[in-house]
Amino acid sequence: MTGYLIRRIFQMIIVVLISAAVSYAILNFAPGGPMSGMRQTTQNSRFRITEEDIIRIRAYYELDLAVPLRFTRWLIGWPTGPIVIGGTELFSDVVIGCSKETTQEVLNSAGKYETVVTGCARPVYLKDLVGRRTSKGILLGDFGNSWRLLRDRPVSQLLESRIWKTVQLSGLSLIFALLLGIPIGIYSAIKQYSKFDYIFTTLAFIGSAMPTFFFGILMILAFSILPKSAGWPYLPAGSAVAVRNYTIPLLGVIKAGSTADILLHLILPVATLTLVSVSGWSRFIRTSMLEVLRQDYVRTARAKGLIERVVIVKHALRNALIPFVTIIVFAIPGLFSGAIITETIFSWPGMGRLYFQALGEYDYPVAMAFLFITAVLTVIATLLRDILYTVVDPRIRLT
Amino acid sequence: MKKLMSLLGLVVVIAMAMSACQPVVQTVVVEKEVKVVETKEVKVVETQTVVETQIVEKTVENSVEVPTAFATAPFALADLKVRQAMAYCTNKVDIANAGYPLLTQEQAKTLVMDTFIPKTHWAYAGDENITIYPYDPEKGKALLEEAGWTMAEGKEYRTDANGIELAFKFTTTSAAFRKAWAAVWEKQMKDCGIHIIRLHAPASWWFGDTTGLARRDFEIGAFAWVGQADPGGQTLYACDQIPTAANNWAGQNDMGWCNEKASVAIKAANNTLLQEDRKKQYTIVQQEYTKDVPAIPLFNRTETSAAVADLTGFDPRPGEEYYIYNVTQWERPGQDTIVIGFTQEIASLHTLVESSFAANLALLISDPRSYTSLDYTYAPATVKQLSTLESGLAKNTVVEVKAGDSVADADSNIVTLEKGVKVMNSDGEVVEFDGTPVKMMQLVVTYEWRTDLKWPDGKELNQADFELGYKTACDKENGATSFILCDQTQAITFDGNNQTVTWKPGVQSPTYFLAPFGYYPAHRVIESEGPYKGKTLAEVPAKDWLTLPEIAETPWGVGGYKIVEWVKGEKIVYAVNEFAPADLQPKTPNLIITWVTPENAEAQLLTGAVDLLDPTTLAGLTEQLVNAEKEGKIKNYVIAGATWEHIDFNLSY
Repeated sequence: MTGYLIRRIFQMIIVVLISAAVSYAILNFAPGGPMSGMRQTTQNSRFRITEEDIIRIRAYYELDLAVPLRFTRWLIGWPTGPIVIGGTELFSDVVIGCSKETTQEVLNSAGKYETVVTGCARPVYLKDLVGRRTSKGILLGDFGNSWRLLRDRPVSQLLESRIWKTVQLSGLSLIFALLLGIPIGIYSAIKQYSKFDYIFTTLAFIGSAMPTFFFGILMILAFSILPKSAGWPYLPAGSAVAVRNYTIPLLGVIKAGSTADILLHLILPVATLTLVSVSGWSRFIRTSMLEVLRQDYVRTARAKGLIERVVIVKHALRNALIPFVTIIVFAIPGLFSGAIITETIFSWPGMGRLYFQALGEYDYPVAMAFLFITAVLTVIATLLRDILYTVVDPRIRLT
Repeated sequence: MKKLMSLLGLVVVIAMAMSACQPVVQTVVVEKEVKVVETKEVKVVETQTVVETQIVEKTVENSVEVPTAFATAPFALADLKVRQAMAYCTNKVDIANAGYPLLTQEQAKTLVMDTFIPKTHWAYAGDENITIYPYDPEKGKALLEEAGWTMAEGKEYRTDANGIELAFKFTTTSAAFRKAWAAVWEKQMKDCGIHIIRLHAPASWWFGDTTGLARRDFEIGAFAWVGQADPGGQTLYACDQIPTAANNWAGQNDMGWCNEKASVAIKAANNTLLQEDRKKQYTIVQQEYTKDVPAIPLFNRTETSAAVADLTGFDPRPGEEYYIYNVTQWERPGQDTIVIGFTQEIASLHTLVESSFAANLALLISDPRSYTSLDYTYAPATVKQLSTLESGLAKNTVVEVKAGDSVADADSNIVTLEKGVKVMNSDGEVVEFDGTPVKMMQLVVTYEWRTDLKWPDGKELNQADFELGYKTACDKENGATSFILCDQTQAITFDGNNQTVTWKPGVQSPTYFLAPFGYYPAHRVIESEGPYKGKTLAEVPAKDWLTLPEIAETPWGVGGYKIVEWVKGEKIVYAVNEFAPADLQPKTPNLIITWVTPENAEAQLLTGAVDLLDPTTLAGLTEQLVNAEKEGKIKNYVIAGATWEHIDFNLSY
């Protein structure tokens, strides 16, 4: 087991590094980037940008460095300048990028102009890195500074401001979905083709087919706007917390930021997420249970005269949950990464929205931090899943 | 029950299949359009033409929306009669209504533009001084006939004597708003026999740095410009501002419009300082612009806000983008807090490095601008008066410059004067420097701030604050994007709350009367943890201001409000700055900015969580907002914004 774990952890590190490198490359080679729209600005007579300004801005975003070097600086905060051995600087004049490219306009085969890079008018040398700001590296827990969303301040501040809210939302909906989804699935399987089964199967289909945004908007209309309009008690339509005190009929004045306020704000988004999850999970459990209930050992258990509750809980459910472990474990990264649609519909300040904003604003340090943490959590979840298999299924041994 | 379940399953499968099929049709349409354009441009490659024709035919089988094989006729745009005809065939009111379906025809009419300057702008030439093209399709058709584009019996579109169809590729973004009005324009053109082939490209391509507009890769294109109190326009309408490969695609005259008279006038308008003189020049440009029709100005976009019905004092006005200009006058009966819902989250309140609209709005609540521009007219706010030539606070004198001097060249770039450099001399002529001294104009402007402005700690705004403002703004390590104002400054002196800037020779910015540099509380002690804790702001190097919470999150201002808290992702809280002058004291003691998503914003307004949604959140009126206003719950504010939609013709074919 120990050997297995060591091997797996080593593999996990490799997977995370490869995933980080691929994500970094995709972001950096994708069209667009932080310099997008600069053309408009350079033409503006009241806010003109000179060529020197562009060189400075490219250096700020490290766009003047070769991508592999940008990656290592982001990953481990290295290199920060020439390598010094015994007071001697090595590789000082090694070219590591270009701050000003020479370009040429050429007509392509379609008769359209293309800008082709023909060389470098101002190379960047390793020694030029001295004095440049860099993070300690994401492997050392330093996510660097945000480019756009929290300009020049640590990415960790942004993550901290969202992570708890995300865990609140995703965690609660996960708990409720488990508490509802598993019993419903079991009961539907036991009472297959009963009215209960038909009703919940139909509802589950509807829940799976209807998009989250539809549910969310429906919830807001039904439990916020219409009751508020009618003067009845209502639920807050969005946000994680109120910014000022408010009055709800029957409940009275709710103080902004109080526990009651936080709980009231949680109800609609958690309910929306829970409904969607319950639909899928109850169906999954139902199918899994039905399969197990047909097995010989369940028949044997019944034949032995065990009471039905014991047969279901001890013999059937335990085996039916084995494939369910995979689903549950992979909900762990979801606790961090949030639920972008639900967060958007309810103005919830969560990680999903943050990631989406980071991509839209070309804030790569924020996007990369998100992707990196998600990758780490995913590989941890994979390991956890494999370990849990040995717990729920004694036939499995990790060697 | 089983049958019911089967039926339900079948419905779901069909729905999925149908929704999966939908985008495929759209993709085919776009691909077809692009490929046909290629066919037109590479006419000599006959093999390609055959291939493209096959693709078009294949497309026709799949979608009735796809036209049959065609070739465009961009060369026809060079004919003034064709452009005029298209202008006559354009019903701008209907187009504006298509973009804003909840506006009445009367409201839509107020948005219509006939030239590149809104009708309420001080620089508008007046209806009598420009050529207006009212919707008159019969006149348009007659012009097309005159131009040789006739409608054959049984045909939908006009052709010329060679049988070439009067067809154009029309490029714009894929925004739903533009799709809506572009479809109406397409129909209007079809009614006149003009075939418009719409290509809705991604905004990232259309506005890309090396694609779309930037390379003038269009026949007819549509987008929007943002108007301002100063109309500018030199880079848009001058002959030497046409982007080409030869000039490395510099300039924004994407139409390729070169009218010498207009070109001279637009340069004069941007290099003349007296407003009356400028207006004359702008009138000439508008006359030529509407005569030549290089573009069809369509309509001002609306700016929609919605507020709770009992909010008073809120008065958004055309020309003033910062609707919080009078935020201290807002109030709600019996309420001590006003909540504004923002969509765009703020990165930093250090506006030297963060120039987003939302950041500026949030900062200006606590530190108002020195001027306002209501109805496109500048007026002083925290300065005593505008520093105009007329007021005597500005002087424009003739100076002699020689080789080695730092001056603004004819393109407003700051350069060292040497042989070959083109500059504008004191007579307003562009001359090439040949080594002999040249006479140029030089502006010296004094900006005078009110002397009753105080920081939230009660200290008066003073000279040290202004000195720090200039020093920080012009420190190249401060993280800012542009230093043009610093580069343009030859010298600056301070005297209490006044600063006098001597601009470099040749700097003749039409907005010279607006103060270029601000102020910071030099005496503010840094309280946040870090290496500068306990020091004053003046002691912190500009490069480290970016990370200071005292600058990025809770900066001080001299307005009626002060920032007391910023909870990231949630809110910014303001309270009264009790030391502000009486006329800046707010009527409502607390103000909060909170972040909401556009999808959730209206619900928050209707449930009372926020009091105001601004144009950055609301794309326009919705039925929900209109109904809520009818029920007396909210009030909607729709004004003609400074952004205006237009259709540009590429005249270079």
